[in-house]
Amino acid sequence: MADAKKLAEQLKKLNELRGPVPQELRDRVAAQNKAQKAILDALKEGPKTAPELAAAAGLPEDRALWYLVGLRKYGKISDVAGRGDYPKYELKAGEAK
Amino acid sequence: MRELEKIEVDTLVVGSGIAGLQAALDLADQGYSVAIVEKAPSIGGKMISLSKVFPTLDCASCITTPRMASVSHHPRIKTLTYSTVDAIKREGKTFTASVTRKPRYIDEKECISCKRCEEVCPVYLPDEYEQGLGAKKTISIPFTNAIPQLPVMHPEHCIRCGACARACPKDCIEFLQEPAPVEIKAKAVILATGYETTPMTAKKQYGLGKLPNVISPMAAERLLAPHGPYGRVLRPSDGMVPGSIAYVQCAGSRDKSIGVPYCSRVCCMYAIKQAILLSGSLPIADITIYYMDIRAFGKGYEQFYNNARAMGINFVKAKVARITEDEKHNPILRIERQEGDSAPAEVKHELVVLSQGLLPGCDVSKFNLGAGLNDFGFVQLSDETVSSAVTAGAGVFAAGVVKGPRDIPDSVVDAGSAAMEAASYIRKL
Ligand SMILES: Cc1cc2nc3c(=O)[nH]c(=O)nc-3n(C[C@H](O)[C@H](O)[C@H](O)COP(=O)(O)OP(=O)(O)OC[C@H]3O[C@@H](n4cnc5c(N)ncnc54)[C@H](O)[C@@H]3O)c2cc1C
Ligand code: SF4
Ligand code: SF4
Repeated sequence: MADAKKLAEQLKKLNELRGPVPQELRDRVAAQNKAQKAILDALKEGPKTAPELAAAAGLPEDRALWYLVGLRKYGKISDVAGRGDYPKYELKAGEAK
Repeated sequence: MRELEKIEVDTLVVGSGIAGLQAALDLADQGYSVAIVEKAPSIGGKMISLSKVFPTLDCASCITTPRMASVSHHPRIKTLTYSTVDAIKREGKTFTASVTRKPRYIDEKECISCKRCEEVCPVYLPDEYEQGLGAKKTISIPFTNAIPQLPVMHPEHCIRCGACARACPKDCIEFLQEPAPVEIKAKAVILATGYETTPMTAKKQYGLGKLPNVISPMAAERLLAPHGPYGRVLRPSDGMVPGSIAYVQCAGSRDKSIGVPYCSRVCCMYAIKQAILLSGSLPIADITIYYMDIRAFGKGYEQFYNNARAMGINFVKAKVARITEDEKHNPILRIERQEGDSAPAEVKHELVVLSQGLLPGCDVSKFNLGAGLNDFGFVQLSDETVSSAVTAGAGVFAAGVVKGPRDIPDSVVDAGSAAMEAASYIRKL
């Protein structure tokens, strides 16, 4: 575990070297957090498909899918078994409830 | 810059695809020392991201991973990943390569590959290993079977929250890490820098990469891989299981308009392979291959093609003039049949794969080693009938697709000849 003071010094030095974190990156991460939260919130109502989640979260369908597969990879969401043209996803037990 | 690291070996291998790995192993097993330099964060090249390989349909990573492990554990092989070869100088009978190890922003010696940094990092990025279809984090281990299992941090996507450093049990995050110079002295050089596929943006008629359901063949390999981005075959625009899939052959080969007049040799075979795999995972899907003529070059390849026909894959002899899409992002192909009714027609599919061609992975002429290039930038051999590895530069050999499009079995055979030629050259020095 990093020493808090040493870490703070490193990050400060980094800001001096590279300038502040670009606003564009901050905005992108804020949009990501908002989209992910909307997806996880929508899933609290039960399993949904990518287009359903896109509609619930107000996202383009391809973006919703991309966020979805990211959350899936990092263990927040899992696939629901079953057939159909559009697979459904659900919250992983114990996640984001 | 960190302190200069010096390495002295018999042979320098540039590129760690299947050709570079095999050449390095062959040489090291004969007692020669090797340094292998790879620009990507993991060794393995293109083959490690393939699903299965034609014509045997063996799992690609099951064949590549053991070779990667042998290389990285071999006592006579030094592996440098995430490193660029900046220049190679010839001085008498020695080559001196200037290499830069790019910073991963972690202490590589201390890291225990626990992935805690990656778990806590809050920033998601498109994962290039998954051809952008999946996500990774600003600090992440490149992929599950990457070697070495070391994370890379991308500072341009870092919000400097410090979460990774607080989570790392070994205190290895080094935000201020700098590039490290390395000098490699070698007696021979094997070029194995492989290929890139023609870019999605190559052809205006095919949508310039802007149509979400018109994808590259590498993306299709990832969709078919067991641990691919979606865990199953879905199309990128909306996560639908595609019911109708088309392949457009020679989409980036045998096309003078984009400067690739040659045949890329493997596209017919990988398209047929993918079609067979798709019909396995999506039994009710309709799969069509639009082709001008099928070129099945190698051993067992004709049989493979016949199997695909027998499985119900449609082969349509037609030229695809243009691809557009409807409001649901279904690709619409404007085709001109070359047999029977030749009136132009529009056909709708749900997912389209462009069978792209192979371009040189690196312009090796920048190293000034005396190895000639052909008109298309592939390394030319001094006399193909005498050896499949010797170039015009003394002590410089070539293996794999760096010499021109070829499949994996040929790249492996090539690697064997390159290793043999390099060994005999070194012995005579
Ligand atoms: C979609 C697709 C599917 C395919 N499927 C099959 C199949 O099923 N069966 C089959 O036999 N063949 C298949 N092929 C062909 C196969 O991928 C190649 O034959 C094989 O991977 C070539 O290996 P290589 O080592 O020559 O090149 P690569 O795998 O391209 O390796 C080159 C390596 O060099 C590195 N490099 C490049 N420049 C530098 C530099 N300047 N410094 C350091 N490192 C550098 C690259 O990062 C890379 O790791 C397929 C090809 C495609 C496009
Ligand atoms: S400091 Fe950067 S790399 Fe580390 S967790 Fe935060 S965003 Fe990710
Ligand atoms: S948390 Fe530290 S030890 Fe674990 S993988 Fe990341 S850098 Fe390595």
